[in-house]
Amino acid sequence: MSRKRAKEILRQVDDMWRGDSSHTIFTMQVKTAHYTRSMRLEGWSKGKEKTLVRILVPLKEKGTATLKSRNSIYTYLPKTDRTIRLTSGMMMGSWMGSHFTNDDLVKESRMEDDYDPTISFEGQRNNQNIIEFTLIPKADAAVVWGKVVVTVLANGYLPIIQHYYDEDMNIARTMTFSNNKLLGGRLLPSVMRVVPADKPNEYTELVYEKLELDTKLGDAFFSLARLKRM
Amino acid sequence: MKILSMASRNVVRNWRRTLVTTLAMGFAGFIMIFFAALTEGLLQTSERNAVSMNLGDVQIHAKGYRDDPDLYKRIDNAVDLVGKLQQAGFHATQRVYGFGLAAAGSTSAGVQLRGVNLTNEVTVTQIHQHVMQGDWLADTDPKGVVIGRKLARTLGVTPGNEVVIIGQATDGSMANDLYTVRGILKSISDDVDRAGFFMVEHAFRELMVLPQGAHEIAVMRHDHSRDLDSATAQVAALARGYETMNWRQLRPVIARILDLADAQTIIMILITYVAVAMIVLNAMLMSVFERIRELGIMKALGVTPWQLTLLVYAETMIQIVTASIIAFISGWSVAHYYQENGIDLSAIASSTSFGGVAMDPIWHAHVTTESVVIPIVFLFLIGAAAVIYPAIKAAIIQPVKAIHYHL
Repeated sequence: MSRKRAKEILRQVDDMWRGDSSHTIFTMQVKTAHYTRSMRLEGWSKGKEKTLVRILVPLKEKGTATLKSRNSIYTYLPKTDRTIRLTSGMMMGSWMGSHFTNDDLVKESRMEDDYDPTISFEGQRNNQNIIEFTLIPKADAAVVWGKVVVTVLANGYLPIIQHYYDEDMNIARTMTFSNNKLLGGRLLPSVMRVVPADKPNEYTELVYEKLELDTKLGDAFFSLARLKRM
Repeated sequence: MKILSMASRNVVRNWRRTLVTTLAMGFAGFIMIFFAALTEGLLQTSERNAVSMNLGDVQIHAKGYRDDPDLYKRIDNAVDLVGKLQQAGFHATQRVYGFGLAAAGSTSAGVQLRGVNLTNEVTVTQIHQHVMQGDWLADTDPKGVVIGRKLARTLGVTPGNEVVIIGQATDGSMANDLYTVRGILKSISDDVDRAGFFMVEHAFRELMVLPQGAHEIAVMRHDHSRDLDSATAQVAALARGYETMNWRQLRPVIARILDLADAQTIIMILITYVAVAMIVLNAMLMSVFERIRELGIMKALGVTPWQLTLLVYAETMIQIVTASIIAFISGWSVAHYYQENGIDLSAIASSTSFGGVAMDPIWHAHVTTESVVIPIVFLFLIGAAAVIYPAIKAAIIQPVKAIHYHL
């Protein structure tokens, strides 16, 4: 019973940002020991298989675009006018200098597909009514995490925080959600911040400026030809 | 008693046996000279490839760079340090390294980007002379790059083709640019062959947004007879605060293989010669036993045991000297031929590597005095040892028993 309910809630959390398709404008702020960088990006998605993101600002990288189509990632480089398909060796590399890996983009999937969820806590925490799920990867799921702990508000199921653990069950990174506001007609967290556990002074923060859902984009939009033409 | 003339007469008495024994020894000697020259050739090439292609005698890195190479672990005052090393009488060059993805057409491969200071690099290594196809880097052609041979095959490029590089620059931005393959290297080392992507230093700095500093300084002694350890200590004193290591510390496996090579040759010689010793022992025992009555009579006529021992030894030595001449002439000329021409291994192995150091598929022998002298000296020693028993046998013959001896 609790498992079924857990799955039901997670499905709603998964669907929150995505809808059938989406169009979003967001900024990404990256802080590391060596650099701080700020970018403004525009992204489109359709289902969970197709994502297209391009850089609007800074000018130097404007037009650089990433296309995720099923399990492949292509990068278009306007400076050289070339499209490159990333090899498996590059998957654990950083995506656009952030704390996300290219693999995060490919593996971005519905939690309910890859994990077996259980409700591990329900009740008051920090003056909020919350539900905490513990997600254990399914035996055949190709995920890099040992477990993921997801905490959502009991009312409306808005995510608050997610803890990612590596295969040795040590905490690897923390993703926090904040600044809930109306986006695409829904109340959603507009700020998402990732902090790697081994470098607590570094972070990548995504701030959603605009989100449109169910924009009725065709599959042709997510093609290599389109990647170049933008 | 004229031992030598008697011995030479005895040797030709059973000339077939003498011929077989001598040829066996000569052949073994020939093989060992050839083997020693080939080993020497392999060692010289691998030492040369390791040190003068890439490593240099001594290298300086920022602490921790070798364990976890990242763009930010740099030698900050690299230019000053190179200047100081040059003043102190060393050849030195700074290098900058980074990682990226190289793509040509629809193929791509991870590469190690290597920014090379052209003026200084030629004083330290000879890599610029090891271009297989095309040309080495040139300051006038900042977009021209030189790549490893396996990498060229993976990407399917030849000189003149375009390659795109993407990577992450020091400011987090996406480094990317288009380059033209200018040259493809011969085999240098496993990592250079597979992932080496050489570019002009200032082109690298522009791509990776790295205005200052270097990841590695390679140092070479002017005078190669100078002790490596004292040179390392002198470099370390100049490069305080950084990690200084010589090539033996950087590549301990190769250093050890080179150290053990002489011992290895001698072990091979001993194994081969034990077989030869059996043949000599057998032949000389036979020749003593079939002459037992003759030797008995000689003894009865007053020949001393010592003289009989000398006789057997003289017979053996005549054969060893002949065998040595055969071994020397054939071994030296064959080894010398392969020193000039090399053995082409490309048919059986497309690329060979040796402790991480790549080898040319053409294996050249290298004839040194040791490679000729040691096999011959050992031939004498082993022959002399093998004939101890037959010689004693001849020496202790009792005339009366010997005369009644029946074969």
